Amino acid sequence: MLASTISAREWRGPVWLIAVIMLGLLAGCGPSKVVVEGDFPAPTISKLPISLGVWYDPAFENHEMYDEAASKTESSWLVTTGQAQVEMWDIMLQGMFADVVPMVGAPGTDQLNPKVDAVLIPEVLELQYAIPSHTNVKVYEIWIRYRFKLVTITGDPIAEWTMPAYGKTPTAFLQTDQAAVNLAAVMALRDAGANFASTFTRVPAVQNWLEQQLGNDQGAGE
Amino acid sequence: MIHKLLSTLAIAGTLILSSGCVTSTVDQMVFNEPTEGIGGATVVILGRRHASDYDTEPDFVECVGDHISSGDRTIQVIGELDFVNEFYPWFEPRTAPLQIADLERLMQREPKVAQKLASMNTQYMIWIDGNTKDTDSAGSVTCAIGPGGGGCFGFGTWGSDANYEATIWDFGESAEVGRISTKASGQSYMPAVVIPIPIIAPVQGTACDGIGDQLLQFLSSEY
Repeated sequence: MLASTISAREWRGPVWLIAVIMLGLLAGCGPSKVVVEGDFPAPTISKLPISLGVWYDPAFENHEMYDEAASKTESSWLVTTGQAQVEMWDIMLQGMFADVVPMVGAPGTDQLNPKVDAVLIPEVLELQYAIPSHTNVKVYEIWIRYRFKLVTITGDPIAEWTMPAYGKTPTAFLQTDQAAVNLAAVMALRDAGANFASTFTRVPAVQNWLEQQLGNDQGAGE
Repeated sequence: MIHKLLSTLAIAGTLILSSGCVTSTVDQMVFNEPTEGIGGATVVILGRRHASDYDTEPDFVECVGDHISSGDRTIQVIGELDFVNEFYPWFEPRTAPLQIADLERLMQREPKVAQKLASMNTQYMIWIDGNTKDTDSAGSVTCAIGPGGGGCFGFGTWGSDANYEATIWDFGESAEVGRISTKASGQSYMPAVVIPIPIIAPVQGTACDGIGDQLLQFLSSEY
């Protein structure tokens, strides 16, 4: 028999080749994965004279959205935004506030954290996406709904509010679904930054707190 | 035999080189046109992206900018993405000023924006709003592949409509000083006998040339 004359060393090549082909075929059956990546510019904005602590919960830092395919003709989706979220919010907050300090742990009476005026805790409440095969519209869309908590260093609430963000990108020639979803997510993150920058000082509870921190002339008018 | 081959090649070449027909119209209404061009000042061209059902294509905005730069090399056009990144987050779809008064308010509220605009020596901001969309389509092309080879057969056609409006803001005058609109439509064809041969109507390119020419007349002393 032919097989009996082939040594183990001779078999190694074809086995690897078959394994690679099988893995490739299996990868085709898995979900469409997107790890969101993008460049986020620093904001052109007057900094608030506030020392702000930031606490990214592990759920936020590692945020991902998994959407299981509804039918065999569709693909499941895994969109990982955590790393891009942290990157964008770090750049945004450092551009908005005089001093931004990452917290060691969640603010609380038992937690030793650096001294700051307040701590911001962002949270992704919901992330939805739409692709042309879902909607028959030649646009890829991402919606993100955030909840922000502004608390004291001991965890006492100062303000809590929700904020939407939206990004879309049209279909483009030779653009994969993954690349288009990534671009829509980057647009949604940019929109989140823009929305936060333009509305932060208008959140009533934040406005009151800023008035106490900075005085009436600076806090209310922002 | 050779004669037949040459005539077939000539027909194919003509089809490839030809393009679908496009008709276009341009309307303009401008005031305070600079009589000696814009000198050393810069111009920024931005696309409107706040509508829910369409976006002004970034490549159209780039095309208009390139048309102006290549028409008069003394005019410095700032790239859209560079500008939007430089002034983030104030020119995002959510925050972009819709009126020049909104921009004035932004500059008062955010002195950094005013400083950057002054350092760039930006004289004109041009907003382009509109898009190109496919309209009616008809016909079909069928392709097949087999052991002996493959090929396509059929005929397809589709229309495209481009509709854009450029609004010119003058920072010196703190006023809107002009509006230029262009409409272009055309029909594209794709006959397929073994090989599909697309005959694309350059609708977006025609609209770009139309609006670019009018903007050049406005901005350049050479036109």
